[in-house]
Amino acid sequence: MKLTPRIKSWIESFGVHVALSDEKGQITIIVAERTSVDEDVVTIDLSEQQRNQIEEILLKNDYVALAPGQLGAIRAPYQLKGSARLLNGYLEVEISEIYCTKPGPEAGIRLDVLGYDDMKHYDESRWTDLAPVNPS
Amino acid sequence: MGLLTNEIKDALKVVGKGGSVVHLATSSIDGKPNIVAERFVTSYLDDYILIADMFAQKTKVNLNENPQASISIAHPIGSHAWVFRGPATVINIGAVSTEKWYDINVGQVLAEWGDWAAKEPPLEVPPDIAPPKVAQRGLIVLKVEEIISSELENSGNKIA
Repeated sequence: MKLTPRIKSWIESFGVHVALSDEKGQITIIVAERTSVDEDVVTIDLSEQQRNQIEEILLKNDYVALAPGQLGAIRAPYQLKGSARLLNGYLEVEISEIYCTKPGPEAGIRLDVLGYDDMKHYDESRWTDLAPVNPS
Repeated sequence: MGLLTNEIKDALKVVGKGGSVVHLATSSIDGKPNIVAERFVTSYLDDYILIADMFAQKTKVNLNENPQASISIAHPIGSHAWVFRGPATVINIGAVSTEKWYDINVGQVLAEWGDWAAKEPPLEVPPDIAPPKVAQRGLIVLKVEEIISSELENSGNKIA
């Protein structure tokens, strides 16, 4: 599912926290600062240390969960899930599930099943990000 | 001596007085991870992190079948690049007060943190972020058994 412009912007601005699970269900989190989005693919620039940390886990379980980092954790409360692979030093995640995690009655709603247009409307109608003020 | 230093305890209280923002990650038993930002967080004793259970769904399903979790600092400034890992559980508001989980006395922890919004109102939260009603159902508790670095060049290295 293609990500909305708003989700894309928050992820590219503030990076993501990536959760992985090994065969024993033990959870690893890595914090990535440099991230780009193209349609439904999130590409994460990893350090060598991070690649080494997750390489073996991914061989056994390539399903990962992402959440926007820094201020995005609050202003863009979404969770993205999908299959990941290491490619040329980057982690590429093809997003197949998108959930709202905003605290409240809508927490946990799955958004990708709405279709792109309705998901975009949902995203834009619930947040009041300030537009830049142009000098007059 | 617990694993949580005063520096870590202070960092978990960054936002106003209501705690920092963290990411809580759990996993189903078949390996499907889940990661959610959490706003109501604090340290407890010297080895525990508490998160208010407001609207947790998949997190609680996961903890029921796989009682372990990891927590990262959402905005790891400077050296505050930590991931906390260990066993985790949910203590519901109605839990029997005489029960214990590791060193935690259920009655005591609920008496102190069972009404988070009254104890530390999230006054700094803007209206479009704040939940319509802060309805706490319990506490998610992580016993910190391992602290791992999330710094780019030291990611995965054990700190404590």
